[in-house]
Amino acid sequence: MKNIIIGITLIFLVSVVGCKSESQSIIGIGKSFDSSSALSGGDTTIFDASSHAFSIPAPNLSTAALERHLEGDVEFEAVFVTAPSEVNPGLGPIYNNISCVNCHSRDGRGRPPNVDEKLVSLLFRLSLPNTENLESVKPPIPVPGYGTQLNNRAIYGTQAEGSVKIEYNEHPLTAEDGTRIHLRFPNYTITDTYKPLPDVVEVSPRVAPAVFGLGLLEAIPEKTILTFADEGDVDEDGISGKPNYVWDVVEKRYALGRFGWKANQPNLLQQVASAYHDDMGLTTSLFLLENSFGQPQYTQNSTTPEVSDEILDVVTFYVQTLAVPARRNVDDPQVMHGEQLFVQAQCASCHIPTLRTGLLRGVPSVSNQTIHPYTDMLLHDMGPDLADNRPDFHASGSEWRTPPLWGIGLVQTVNGHTNFLHDGRARNLMEAILWHGGEAEKSRDIILQMSKNERDALIAFLRSL
Amino acid sequence: MKFYKVCTLFCCFLFTTSLLIGCIGCGEDDDGDDQVEAYDAGTMLNDFANTVVLATYTDLDNKAGELLVAVKALAENTTQANLEKAQQAWVATRKPWEQSEAFLFGPVDTQGLDPALDSWPVDRVSLKAVLDSNDELTADFVKDGLEDTQKGFHTIEFLLFREGDQHKASDIADRELEYLVASTEYLKESTSQLRLAWSPEGENFSHTVASAGEGNAVYPSQSSAVQEMVNGMITIADEVANGKISDPYNEEDTTLVESQFSFNSISDFQDNIRGIQNVYMGKFTNDGQGLNEFVKGQDAALDSRFQSEIKNAIDTIGAIPDPFRDSITANRSAVQAAIDAVSTVHLSLEQDILPLVQESDFN
Repeated sequence: MKNIIIGITLIFLVSVVGCKSESQSIIGIGKSFDSSSALSGGDTTIFDASSHAFSIPAPNLSTAALERHLEGDVEFEAVFVTAPSEVNPGLGPIYNNISCVNCHSRDGRGRPPNVDEKLVSLLFRLSLPNTENLESVKPPIPVPGYGTQLNNRAIYGTQAEGSVKIEYNEHPLTAEDGTRIHLRFPNYTITDTYKPLPDVVEVSPRVAPAVFGLGLLEAIPEKTILTFADEGDVDEDGISGKPNYVWDVVEKRYALGRFGWKANQPNLLQQVASAYHDDMGLTTSLFLLENSFGQPQYTQNSTTPEVSDEILDVVTFYVQTLAVPARRNVDDPQVMHGEQLFVQAQCASCHIPTLRTGLLRGVPSVSNQTIHPYTDMLLHDMGPDLADNRPDFHASGSEWRTPPLWGIGLVQTVNGHTNFLHDGRARNLMEAILWHGGEAEKSRDIILQMSKNERDALIAFLRSL
Repeated sequence: MKFYKVCTLFCCFLFTTSLLIGCIGCGEDDDGDDQVEAYDAGTMLNDFANTVVLATYTDLDNKAGELLVAVKALAENTTQANLEKAQQAWVATRKPWEQSEAFLFGPVDTQGLDPALDSWPVDRVSLKAVLDSNDELTADFVKDGLEDTQKGFHTIEFLLFREGDQHKASDIADRELEYLVASTEYLKESTSQLRLAWSPEGENFSHTVASAGEGNAVYPSQSSAVQEMVNGMITIADEVANGKISDPYNEEDTTLVESQFSFNSISDFQDNIRGIQNVYMGKFTNDGQGLNEFVKGQDAALDSRFQSEIKNAIDTIGAIPDPFRDSITANRSAVQAAIDAVSTVHLSLEQDILPLVQESDFN
């Protein structure tokens, strides 16, 4: 996955060979066209439509920065094993996976297991309901004996916390033109628990998101994000938009939440450290206590972090500096029609197409870029059908952060599936659209009223991202 | 590596002006002055998918079957001769797998087969714990009860070879034999799954690649599928030059050596480059249309130069004295020569062949 150079070469190509197919899609024919709309990641954009599309370093990295990125690449792929070991010790004892890349395959998107498959890139957060004070904003309350995440795997000879049974029920939906579309409603049952779970436990499924372009999202100025917020829906468009404020463990204060399905992580350093800790059972200087602490699976760990600050830093840098793939076919008439429909249906009110990054200290390649992520980084109520009913700081049980849509048209090429949304319940892009409720219900209804041609155009637009 | 880094800066500069130059180029195209006939990559992609990829995976699956027979024979009758046969069968199975690393995309990745077959390091603490336990060792137990780091090629390698080629049949415990049989059965299941995933009898991913073009959800253009072919070769050339050989060489650290139990590293590296050769020439056991025909049509000198660079890389790796783990300290100039030779292949792919592919219009 060290495809450094592919991206670089491609940029070179587009530069030199303007007239070939790649750039035809950038330059419109016979009409004025905003060519930069294909450059989803600004100067970090690469031109690759193969399964490597999410794994290429930003082409504008300096020599030293590229070196650091590649060190991070190696660590992102490092497989951990039971201690003691000469290579990568410290796994678990309870965990969800054994390397970063095992969930974020090809730096891309995970999916729920197919029938007869094991859970690989989908995990389940757990918590107790906050019954004491419904108004207070709190991090999720850990479940005694489980913490805030179900670790469904364990090192040999240690009990995993449990497993999950997934069932789906199909419900049909009929569009205005008579087209019937089935949505599958998931039902999750925690099974094989190593000790009884309380009856009232909150359970939230989370699929591994793609990890490219994240430095750009981290570099969006807080004040830009806050200008999109409209918590009380003052403009009465039915769309609110709410920032999450979450605990920053380094700064020891509340900070704007940016990452995770509920925007419950303030920055990528903490996101990466949490993933090592919660998902792999590896300690860092940010989280020195094992994830199994206080549980019978716990074994005395060393006082030095299992993952050094150096490794934590290069992995953070790695996900900060993965390139964003360019859009394809931006001047295709169907794609352009779909883009108009996307705006008309008010999708773009939350999936904001264009943003400008500010300064991300130490990462000049992502600073001051015009990008097309299709997110406002804010929480929105998505209605009861999508709700996980598990609040997370300011995010209610039915609120989710608008996920970026860049690269969404390449997920099938990179990851071999089209499972979308926080738990991969949607089996294609149209299902994902039709799951939108709450603040997005009006948009969904507009799309249900579209003709088949219009819906196809909308999908063609999304596939160009 | 150095060259890329220089190139990075150069490209940063070019990047900023790319759209402008692009505009000028296209203006000419629109006037019809400079139309180049599109290349139909259909046959090449079909031969890549079937004559190279599916054929390699079929061979892998057959060899895994032979390995299973040999391991079962060893378990039945644990003689030194049977151990050596099983070791040879492991090496023979390893060969098509390493060649397949020139196209590590598609089902091998999306079905999680690469980690199940080829995870590193081996979790030796758990391996010992499993051997010391009373768990019944079956293929299903290996599949569902054990991590990827306790199964696959390197676990089997560890059990068959231990440290190098001096392993004695008389030292192999009964539990180790049971583990060997169970993990080889699961390896065979995985290789069958992989072959089926590309085969018309199964998910037929060969067809997905061969039919690249409009209406294909995975490869909506031939260009994206040809790019996939070239990216696969680039990835393994980079991995061999800058990872597999360089990492243990630079660190002088034998724990970083691939296939270190069997002392098979040099064959592993050579077969990686042979995988590039197979994709480029469009052949495995049979001959098909490779990328070479396309390259030759554009630049005959590049084609013949690249073919000899591949051969040179295979030979130069082969000139490193066995075992590789000793040569990283004892024969450093031979190892450095191999790194240079593979880097040359890597550079040609990136600097010359990928640009040709990018510049061309495919059907």
